[in-house]
Amino acid sequence: MEQWKMENNDRKFEEYLGEFRPRKPRALPELIVHRQVWPRRLAAAAAIAISLGASLWFVRRKNELNNGEVVAKDSTSMLEAKSPASPLALLPLTQVALQDPKQLDAQLTAASLRVLPDFRGSTSTLRVLAKE
Amino acid sequence: MTERKLSAEDVRRLYDQHGPALVAYACSFVTDAAAAEDVVHQVFLRLLSAEIAIPDVPVAYVYRAVRNAALNAQRSGLRAVEVDPQSSVFQHRCGNQESALALEKALAELPEEQREVVVMRVWSGMTLEEVAAAAGAPLNTIASRYRYALEKLREKLRPYERNENGTMEDGK
Repeated sequence: MEQWKMENNDRKFEEYLGEFRPRKPRALPELIVHRQVWPRRLAAAAAIAISLGASLWFVRRKNELNNGEVVAKDSTSMLEAKSPASPLALLPLTQVALQDPKQLDAQLTAASLRVLPDFRGSTSTLRVLAKE
Repeated sequence: MTERKLSAEDVRRLYDQHGPALVAYACSFVTDAAAAEDVVHQVFLRLLSAEIAIPDVPVAYVYRAVRNAALNAQRSGLRAVEVDPQSSVFQHRCGNQESALALEKALAELPEEQREVVVMRVWSGMTLEEVAAAAGAPLNTIASRYRYALEKLREKLRPYERNENGTMEDGK
């Protein structure tokens, strides 16, 4: 009974204490800042991701183009080597020799006119040497 | 005991629910309400920075953190703001500033463990079981602390309690 009386008094006094309210503190400034910073960070991350992706795409694209040019250059040089006007190249000549020996003779003759010293003209090396 | 990091929303909710009581609690360690508010802000800003993993019962952690921060502030004594002796961290619903100041003074004179129980119970709205869990003490110990605290407070606030009850009854 004594205990109940005590508890009842306590409850009443507790209610009285509850009539006092602690002053509400000012709002947390960082909460507002957080809300503003979050989308900014997201936008920055998206921008970085996009620019990185674009850079990678450009690099890959450039590499693909370069590879294409190299292939094209290779095939062009092969063709040039096969033509009579081109300088002597062992690999194309070997290919021509295997495929068509007559064509090889023709190509060697044509090439010799360009590569070997000319001894038939009036200013040929041989004629000059013969005069001496 | 598991630990976790609180989201900004969790921290805001915690601040709304317990911020005023925590300021009242901190006020008994530092010189004035503004300093107490600074202390509570400091603790919650650290929580917002999401660098701290806290236990499953965040209230208990926050009370400990506010206590430590308030004691640090008290030791450093850096606050140079003029204290208004007429301003209290409490407000009575009848607007009696005198009783509010008396309550603040009476709370500050309580032993720390009793003050903590009263603040958690009355102004944070926690049950004694929750206070026991937060304080890490047996329920019986917490109940005893609470009863002793109420006795001391009642003794010091008796004149105001009578007056205010009388005023309210007259008002009816």
